[in-house]
Amino acid sequence: MGLRRSGKSSIQKVVFHKMSPNETLFLESTNKICREDVSNSSFVNFQIWDFPGQIDFFDPTFDYEMIFRGTGALIFVIDSQDDYMEALARLHLTVTRAYKVNPDINFEIFIHKVDGLSDDHKIETQRDIHQRANDDLADAGLEKIHLSFYLTSIYDHSIFEAFSKVVQKLILQLPTLENLLNIFISNSGIEKAFLFDVVSKIYIATDSTPVDMQTYELCCDMIDVVIDISCIYGLKEDGAGTPYDKESTAIIKLNNTTVLYLKEVTKFLALVCFVREECFERKGLIDYNFHCFRKAIHEVFEVRMKVVRSRKHQNQMQKNKRATPNGTPRAPL
Amino acid sequence: MEKMARVTTALGGNTITGRTMFCHLDAPANAISVCRDAAQVVVAGRNIFKIYSIDEDQFVEKLNLRVGRKPSLNFSCADVVWHQMDENLLATAATNGVVVTWNLGKPSRNKQDQLFTEHKRTVNKVCFHPTEVYMLLSGSQDGYMKCFDLRKKDSVSTFSGQSESVRDVQFSIRDYFTFAATFENGNVQLWDIRRPDRYERMFTAHNGPVFCCDWHLEDRGWLATGGRDKMVKVWDMNTNRAKEIYCVQTIASVARVKWRPECKHHIATCSMMVDHNIYVWDVRRPFIPSAMFEEHKDVTTGIVWRHLHDPYFLLSGSKDSTLYQHIFKDASQPIDRANPEGLCYSLFGDLAFAAKESLISSDSNRKPYIGDRRHPIFFKRKLDPTEQFEYISSSSALSVFETDLESGSMDWFVRTAKQYALAGRPLAELCDHNAKVAKELDRDQVAQTWTMLRIIYSSPGTVPSANLNHSLGKGSTSLPLMNSFNLKDIPPGIGNESRLERSKGESRSENILMDSSSTLINNDENEETEGSDVPADYLLGDVEGDEDELYMMDHENPHAEEQEYILPQEAFPLRHEIVDNPSALDHLQEKADSPHVSGNEAETVSLTPVESFSLISISHSLYENRLPTDFFNPIVRDMLLFYAEQGDVQMAVSVLIVLGDRIRKEIDEQTQEHWYTSYIDLLQRFQLWNISNEVIKLSTCRAINCLNQASTTLHINCSNCKRPMSNKGWICDRCRQCASMCAVCHHVVKGLFVWCQGCSHGGHLQHIMKWLETSSHCPAGCGHLCEYT
Repeated sequence: MGLRRSGKSSIQKVVFHKMSPNETLFLESTNKICREDVSNSSFVNFQIWDFPGQIDFFDPTFDYEMIFRGTGALIFVIDSQDDYMEALARLHLTVTRAYKVNPDINFEIFIHKVDGLSDDHKIETQRDIHQRANDDLADAGLEKIHLSFYLTSIYDHSIFEAFSKVVQKLILQLPTLENLLNIFISNSGIEKAFLFDVVSKIYIATDSTPVDMQTYELCCDMIDVVIDISCIYGLKEDGAGTPYDKESTAIIKLNNTTVLYLKEVTKFLALVCFVREECFERKGLIDYNFHCFRKAIHEVFEVRMKVVRSRKHQNQMQKNKRATPNGTPRAPL
Repeated sequence: MEKMARVTTALGGNTITGRTMFCHLDAPANAISVCRDAAQVVVAGRNIFKIYSIDEDQFVEKLNLRVGRKPSLNFSCADVVWHQMDENLLATAATNGVVVTWNLGKPSRNKQDQLFTEHKRTVNKVCFHPTEVYMLLSGSQDGYMKCFDLRKKDSVSTFSGQSESVRDVQFSIRDYFTFAATFENGNVQLWDIRRPDRYERMFTAHNGPVFCCDWHLEDRGWLATGGRDKMVKVWDMNTNRAKEIYCVQTIASVARVKWRPECKHHIATCSMMVDHNIYVWDVRRPFIPSAMFEEHKDVTTGIVWRHLHDPYFLLSGSKDSTLYQHIFKDASQPIDRANPEGLCYSLFGDLAFAAKESLISSDSNRKPYIGDRRHPIFFKRKLDPTEQFEYISSSSALSVFETDLESGSMDWFVRTAKQYALAGRPLAELCDHNAKVAKELDRDQVAQTWTMLRIIYSSPGTVPSANLNHSLGKGSTSLPLMNSFNLKDIPPGIGNESRLERSKGESRSENILMDSSSTLINNDENEETEGSDVPADYLLGDVEGDEDELYMMDHENPHAEEQEYILPQEAFPLRHEIVDNPSALDHLQEKADSPHVSGNEAETVSLTPVESFSLISISHSLYENRLPTDFFNPIVRDMLLFYAEQGDVQMAVSVLIVLGDRIRKEIDEQTQEHWYTSYIDLLQRFQLWNISNEVIKLSTCRAINCLNQASTTLHINCSNCKRPMSNKGWICDRCRQCASMCAVCHHVVKGLFVWCQGCSHGGHLQHIMKWLETSSHCPAGCGHLCEYT
């Protein structure tokens, strides 16, 4: 959510539809609520509700309770290049209402369009917005609400990273995944590993070493390369098949003695690793470890499916659409 | 562990000695920590957990804490810390979320003491309380910080960072209850250990994750933080609102920061990616590190000062599986290699020059350059008594030279650009004119060059014509090819004038066009019969200036067979050259077919100023008939290159245009293009748009020629409905009316159209100009106060 023209639909288009950032200039402003299923991935299947900025959804005719009740995260987009006072007032209203309906919502604030700001200005803006938003909440006696702030821009990977963080918060198995990755990399001599959602290029999990922007960008680019090449050469004669399947794997050697290694994990997930060249000599070991890792991921996945199924059953019994662990209907943008 | 008891504190008499040394570890290190006696160091990593003792000249492995056959994930350490109060106590943070404490005093081989498995995700940092023995703090990826009492099984209190990953936790050195925590979202929080429900203070420190923080050892209010945004920031926490007091910009994301003991402003940093060096910065001098250790071959993961009170020994562990001891004596100091002189131009041509004081003073008898005033500003840095290695002279002088406004002015450039004639007349005349222009501006060398060019090029091979001219005794030796105007019909003054106007490129406004067009048309009509010179000229391989001019006239000729060559580039008829390129073969052939005979140069009338010929007439006869023009081409080329080198690209381009084909082949395309672009750029900076356009038109490089064809679209509003005109043409598609009516005469405007951006009304240039002389309101009566500048 956010004021009109703050960039909500652009974010959605760029992250989930691979639209190039320049093309978003030509997006018409959204005039009705767009609901979209992003059930493309095994770990993130959620719905994105793109709210038009001009809608006053606290209109009594509008059933906002229904919307917020099942929501996992609420992303509020603030245009940092604009005067954000109005946006803050709107944010406060939205957050307090939503919190009343569903106290479990994660509130994620994207301070957007920061590409036009200088570095100092960015921090200053973030600090200011943070201060004001929290002060407003404190005045209303709602200190318990936690707002997370992200500086984002569709012109670099910051929007992907922010989205990754948002999605990661909604994944209950994150610690498990992270631990699996940690074990995997420490036993295979890998520098850094990401578990990617191939379609949106957001990372579902990574090991616990800090994420470096360049590394992440490289991985994103690698996925693009793999998909593109696979689209050209990987399809069958009759054009059948998908560019990303079980066989998908790629190795890219960089000139700084690093190797990028991509392997398919599940239908929608890919593992991208950074490996030193000297460690990559033991590719057999890495492959074996990967095999174990993959099995473990599938096990996690199966457990989840069971949970989902039983939950669904329960839901039907209670006629209550509560959020399922991962199928959390999510994010009115 | 008896040995450990031997060393008490280093400052208690025996000072630490040693040298730069290293030892190989078996595996990459993730973190290191020293014992408080400064004699032992613990190294921890994914596959390593060892204690080394630091001897005089080597590291000796003392203990391997990774015991047991089955490697447990609990040993895969992300961080390690040695208690500063108790020599036997260590704590490690494991990647699986376990916090382990170790007691070296245990008699068994396995020194593992306690195991806290409370964190769900990787623990990034553990930290002992500086004075309290049993208090341990941990910060984890899951967003929680936990405080453990080592006497209890579980954590005492949990602090929630609100689901943001914690990267570092540090107890304040002086403030017993306070600790700082840094987060992945760029925030830093201050907590009171007694209040687990809410942080005391929070502020955004970095853009992106904050990887590390360190409290100043002496000044308790200072906190240094380093983040992914490649900055190290020092915050003063004493004030109500955390204030950034210093900021150091490094070249890679900052992994660790450590204040240097005993030096108030020094801080050591190492980076997380790309850069393997360790830097020691003086925060007051954030642009160049004061010391640098370059030993590591891979990313440095842990740095620690060997002793709390000894600023000369630094230990570091790295991913390249080495453990180093660095001593300051061996540090490389980038400042040595830095050039201590700085030079900078200001916007207005002032020059600032900073150099070491010694240099300046020894030079002081030297005259300052152009400056008429000189302000030496001296600033001395106070020497820090603790700085052992500050042997670089730290005083420098800054001098500012102010430019003499006159000397720096480019007036000559503007005037030359305006007055040079580049085309439209015969070569000799152009040269003479330009020589005169240069001479007037006291640029004798340039003037001389033009004159020489005239001599070289203007009458080669045209023996008969030259002779004719000589025999005529008119003195116009350089004008054998003077063009074919029949000036009998018009007063010569006007023709001359109009041509001058054109060559100056100054006045293209329509009223002048109209004035002169009548005379031109006269010329044109005569052209048909008088064009006889042209084929002759061409066949002789000579002056194109003439031809250009003739073609120009041809285009204005209303004859049907020539209409097709007219490119309507603009909405009104052009009276200057449309095709400058003599390669338009059609014209040439047509001309060549002309039945007229050459040889009537005698009729030509000299327009050259009389005073310029006498110089040349002698030399002219010297080389005539003997040397081909090409003979001089290399010299001329060198001359052009010389001028361009000297920064006078104006000269190079002007000569290039004037000489045209004669010299063009001698100089490679790229150089030419480069010259053209530089000159055009210069002209545009001086806002000499007309001239720059003329140069573009006259240039022969294709890349240049198309310059003035780019972005030729003008967006206008319809004058009726004030909406932008979307489609082509002059009919507004909204109100279906013609938008380009002149507001004064109510006719459709063809030709120059002037348009007010405020009210969208406009009309003929002359009409609007005339109107606005008498009235300040819009002629359309809309009430807008139009302005014509």
